[in-house]
Amino acid sequence: MMHARFAAIGVAFGFALSRTGFSSWERTHAMFTLRDLHLVFAFAMAVGLLAVGWLAVQAFSREKPEWAPRNIHRGTVLGSVLFGTGWAISGACPSVALVQLGEGQLGAAFTLAGIFVGNYAYATARERWLHWNTGSCVDD
Amino acid sequence: MTVVWSWWASGFALAALMLGHWLLTGRMFAVSGRYTAIVDRVRQGAPVEPTLSDAEMIEAIRVMTAEQLGPDAVTPAGRAPLSEPVVKRALPWTVHLAFLGAVLVGGLASALLPGGPGLLREFGGAAFARIFGGHNGTELLALLVGGLLVGAGTRMAGGCTSGHGLCGVSRFQRGSLVSTFTFFGAGIVVSMVLSRLAA
Repeated sequence: MMHARFAAIGVAFGFALSRTGFSSWERTHAMFTLRDLHLVFAFAMAVGLLAVGWLAVQAFSREKPEWAPRNIHRGTVLGSVLFGTGWAISGACPSVALVQLGEGQLGAAFTLAGIFVGNYAYATARERWLHWNTGSCVDD
Repeated sequence: MTVVWSWWASGFALAALMLGHWLLTGRMFAVSGRYTAIVDRVRQGAPVEPTLSDAEMIEAIRVMTAEQLGPDAVTPAGRAPLSEPVVKRALPWTVHLAFLGAVLVGGLASALLPGGPGLLREFGGAAFARIFGGHNGTELLALLVGGLLVGAGTRMAGGCTSGHGLCGVSRFQRGSLVSTFTFFGAGIVVSMVLSRLAA
């Protein structure tokens, strides 16, 4: 039941990313080279609506929702530089690699493998050498 | 011809999904953390199941606290006794796997359903081929390297386009604002350089 609920949202999300154009390497490249701001506008529209949405959630909830803060830590800037670089090269953020694969862009299997291996490698590297906690993006 | 939604309809759909996720599941929408949960399941093996239920655990903590600090420490005057688990249980890793699989199915549905391009055969288009040199091993190597950077970077930054970019920025979280400006900035610089090099 719980699986079905998350899966339903996942299917709709994958569909929406595809029809927004986020799964197109060409559109992503056009966004980053500032030749076509379609994706930036879509992103900004979502952020604006969400800002209003969260305020509404807080206003209408009986109990104030507890959201873990997302603070700046030692991995914020370097991690984001690595991510932005990887996104520009592969044309994929973590969900987009899956959308591309679903669309039949089979090359994205390499991106997907890279994401899993990169995540694993960073976790191992942090444990052995870095000893810092960079928090987690998991549902808070 | 492929139908691409207008930017405002796209933004509306994405925002509705993130809000719907919160309302349906009580959790923030975040994708890179799902990879982390699956990777950690592989790294660490099956988690040790707690032998006590949440209620039993809370009762045990309450008894120990009362023994050490006196009964006033557990039920301060005017406060209801603790009854709800304070920390949310982590979701089972299979939920994360189901979600990621579902995103892939969403991409497949978009390709095949009316308005979609049909199943795509090749990755990317003209600019991708121009920059990474036609259809040979270089393209796949680029995707692999890009994926490695995305995987390591999102775990290091503690979020990606959904958790930091959409849900974090819209709640004005400092870490998310810095992260989002940084990854968009890095993406712009790298894409400009790639574009110049291939020109």
